[in-house]
This record gives sequence, C-alpha cells and structure tokens, in this order.
Amino acid sequence: MPETPEQPTVNQVAKLARIHLDEQQLTSSGEKLKQILEFVSQLEQAELPKDIEPFFGAIESVNAIREDNLQTSVPREKILDNAPESDGEFYLVPPVFRNTDS
Amino acid sequence: MTLSALNADVIVDQLNAGEVTATDCVQHFLDRIQVHNAELNAFIRVSESALEQAEAIDQRRKAGESLGCLAGLPIAIKDGICVSGQPTTAGSKMLENFSPPYDATIVERLKSADAIIIGKTNMDEFAMGSSTENSFFGPTNNPWATNRVPGGSSGGSAACVAARLAPVAIGSDTGGSIRQPASFCGITGLKPSYGRVSRYGLIAFASSLDQIGPMTRTAKESALLMSVIAGFDPRDSTSSKEQVSDFLTSLETPLAGLRIGVCRDHLNEGLDVEVKTKINDAISVFKQLGANIEEIELPQTKSAIAAYYIIAPCEASSNLARYDGVRYTFRAQANDLEEMYRNTRGQGFGDEVKQRIMLGTYALSSGYYEAYYLKASKVRRMIKQDYDEAFKKVDLILGPTTPTPAFKLGQHTQDPLAMYLADIYTVSANLAGIPAISVPVEPSSTGLPIGLQLQGRAFEENTLLRAAHQFQNETLWHMASPSEPWRTQS
Repeated sequence: MPETPEQPTVNQVAKLARIHLDEQQLTSSGEKLKQILEFVSQLEQAELPKDIEPFFGAIESVNAIREDNLQTSVPREKILDNAPESDGEFYLVPPVFRNTDS
Repeated sequence: MTLSALNADVIVDQLNAGEVTATDCVQHFLDRIQVHNAELNAFIRVSESALEQAEAIDQRRKAGESLGCLAGLPIAIKDGICVSGQPTTAGSKMLENFSPPYDATIVERLKSADAIIIGKTNMDEFAMGSSTENSFFGPTNNPWATNRVPGGSSGGSAACVAARLAPVAIGSDTGGSIRQPASFCGITGLKPSYGRVSRYGLIAFASSLDQIGPMTRTAKESALLMSVIAGFDPRDSTSSKEQVSDFLTSLETPLAGLRIGVCRDHLNEGLDVEVKTKINDAISVFKQLGANIEEIELPQTKSAIAAYYIIAPCEASSNLARYDGVRYTFRAQANDLEEMYRNTRGQGFGDEVKQRIMLGTYALSSGYYEAYYLKASKVRRMIKQDYDEAFKKVDLILGPTTPTPAFKLGQHTQDPLAMYLADIYTVSANLAGIPAISVPVEPSSTGLPIGLQLQGRAFEENTLLRAAHQFQNETLWHMASPSEPWRTQS
C-alpha cells in the first residue's frame, strides 16, 4: 500500500518536480496531495481481469515517421524572440554549479 | 436582426451576399467587446489587427477574388492555442509574454478559410480546471449570472459566445473543458474524437486526452467549423488519417431508427433534481424525433474520475517540464541552473498547476508507477471496453453533461475534490477517445443553463451533430439569451 506523503516526501516530490515551495506551501500541498491520493487510491479496489492490457490513448499510428529529408524549420531568430536571455545563437542560462566566489 | 443575434452560417451568407461588409461585422463585435468584456473578462486579448484583416477581405471581395468559406466571420480562440505574432498565454504567468513563432494548424486552416481571429479567450491555467478561476488573468464571469462560473477550462470561449461577443469560438477539451462550460453557459460545444483535429500548436496539457473543438450556439455552426478544422495533419503524430465526413449535409437526415442509450445510473442520486427532469424531458423529444431509447450500462463510470485524475496529472507533469526558465520567456532570479528551474516554476505556475504537477510526479515516481499510472491505464482500458459494448447496442449515448448547473465563484476553490467530482460525466469520453457534444436543454427554474451530452463512436461526429441539430430544430433552448445587458436586440 503506497504511503501517503508526509512532510519529507512532499519535499522529495517538489524536488523531483523542480518546484520551489515555501514551508506553508509544502504543508498545504502535502495535505491536498494526501486528500487526492486517498481518493484516487480507490482504484486499488477496482477488479481487473488478470490479463488486461493498459490503454494509453486512442492513438492509431505507431512510430509516425516521415522521410529523412532536410526540411526548413522555424528561423532561429524567431525562436529566440522568446528567450529569457540569449546571445543571438544560444540560450544563456546561469551556471550549473554555483560560483562560490560570488 | 442585429448581427450578433445571428448564427454564424447566416452571418457568412450575408457577408457572401454583400449585405454586410466584413469591416462592419467585425466592428459590431469589437463594439460589443468594448462595452461588455470588462464585466465578463471573457477575453485576455482583443486582436489589434482584426479590423485591418476585415478591410483586406472586403477589398479582395470587391476585386472579385474567390474567398474562403468563412470569409469575414469573427472567431474567438482559446488562449491555449497558438496564434503567431501576439501573446498566447495558456492563462498563465509563465507564458504571459510568450509570442508563438507559428500558428496552430487549426488557426492556419481558419485563416485559409478567411475567418478573422477577433481575440484570445480566458481559460484555466494550462487548461487545468473546471471553472476558469485558475486563470492568472482573473476569473471569467458567467453571462447568465455574473456571480457564477462559466465553467472551465474553456470558460472565456463559452462566455464570449453566450454573450455574443463573437458568433463562434474554439476551445479545447481534456476532461470536459469544452462541454462543461458549454453546459454552464447554455451553448453547444463539441469534443471531437481523439485524432480528428490536429493538436499542433495546442499548448499541451495531457497529450493522450487533449482535443480542440468548436463552441457555438448551434450544432450547425459547430459542423461548419469542423468542416474547416478537422482532418489529418502530418505535424501531429497522433492525428488520424480517418476520412473526414461531410458534417453539414448529413445534418438533415432524420433520426428515425437511431438507437440512443441511456445509462440509468447517471440519472440517479447525486444528480440535481432539475437537471434530471430536463434531461428526461429531452429524452422524450428524441423519442418524438423517431429515435429508439434503450438502457445501457457503463459500470466503470465510478472509477473514471480516479483514473482521470491520475492519468492527466501524470501526462501534465511531463508536458510542463519544459517550462523551466530556459526557453519560454519567464525566468525567475537565481544563482545557479537548478535554482532557476525551481524558482521559475515556483513563481510562474499557479497553485492548481503546481498541485497537479506534484501529483503526477509522485504517481510516476519510482515505486509508484504500477500502483497509480499503470493501474489507471488498465481501468482506462475497461472504460473503453464499456463503450465498445454499449455501441454494439446503440449509436449514441445520452445523459447530463454536468451533475448541476453553474456553481458560484469561489464555491469550490478550497475543495479541489468537489471540483473534480463535477467532471463525472465528461472525463470518460476523453479516456476512451470518443467524440461527445453538449447541447442546451431547458434552463433551471432560476434561469441557469443545463446541458445534455451525447457521446458517439469514434469518428462518428456526424451522427452527434445530426442528432443535436435535429434536437435544435425541435427545441429553442439554444436560442435563449442571458438577461440584459448581453441580450442582443432581435
């Protein structure tokens, strides 16, 4: 039986989801998660035939591929119009590792 | 009759006959938006170039050019659908300033048909919600009662059509987000079969559930829009190659012999008494129209909400991972990359979106995938099988769209579960991938709209539209207007 989340587990989930939540938000989110998980856990009672296959959606084609030919795409400048920060060629982001000098 | 009182097909006829210019037509609706949008907040943005586009259409028509089948018709588009060159926000702070570099496929098709996009409508953030109260841009009010919700997530589109701020609109539906607001606002809303309408350019919420569809006063107008937007698109790998029916000519085929299934469980407890009465009245109308009513069962309905509220958040947690401050305009202050991700997502997303991402992340995490997502997907198979069985006996399934009419603003915001449970009749169609339409029946004794839902076999939208159209020939509920000041003069 999957455990319902307590404070540390909510922290873990927030970390996995890369979402910063303050203490109050973590508590509130944890409570809501618990509530919803209790509700959806009713599925454990669902009687399913042993050999039933999951259904992931009414998608008719598998590996919908096209010919491997060079095609035009959206111009770089247009894409970079939405960049929070860019040098005109690449997206610029803060360093992966914090600079301990700063 | 004033323009805004007319249905889109009549407006198009008048435009084609030169009885009204596109410029006058667009100006008429822009004037209505100017006067009424402040109180409704149906639009996030009104198009600055709509009049210019209308003038261009008038010039082309004068020059004798042949024009698209919707030439000059103003249309509102839900703000989760990309229209290039102006912001497409998905109702979120995260995308407040995001300007798509391309048009969604359906937008391209509408533009090719010379429709005029008059504005982008309000929605629950990233389509997550059933009330439009989760929008970063504030809630939309229901034109029928402004202290009530219009429904969600396509609440802006529904309110806009109900208040005649545009003759027709486009929405999207993942668990009921076209049909439920259509029901709450007294209009017609169609969720096509999965794969019927391209999702290219629809900001993704749950990729195996999302579909774009029309929101209009009548089934005939929905059929008109479907004839433009439906069809295979190589840029959407889930797009179906299924032949597109002629949705318009089949509308007039009488319903004699049509088999309609009613699930008695759906008309029992939990259902508002007035909703039950009006739905039963509507069943009598279908009998008069020659349909045969049969009882069917959909035993897995009881598990549908639980399955949906695992599957949709799981898929959302994956789709919304891209909003990390790197590429899509909004970026929070941070000293390192990971902090940037966490602060951006902490500040850029609203509470409901964060909650669903957390839920999805948890359910997909190591050790829990089998118990939640996989289990829910097996239940999803059972739900599909329920429909397959039912459709051996009947051609359509009839029932209420929602358990109650529109609830009050703020009524469910503290209790997400109560909000989720209101989706009981709509989520199954998304899970199974089948088409479904909501049409208005008689309003409640307090004047609130009530919606009837018809569900059909995959790719049989023409049967849905035909049944809805015949019903609307027989009844006049779809022509009812909210009270002043949105009632248009006839």
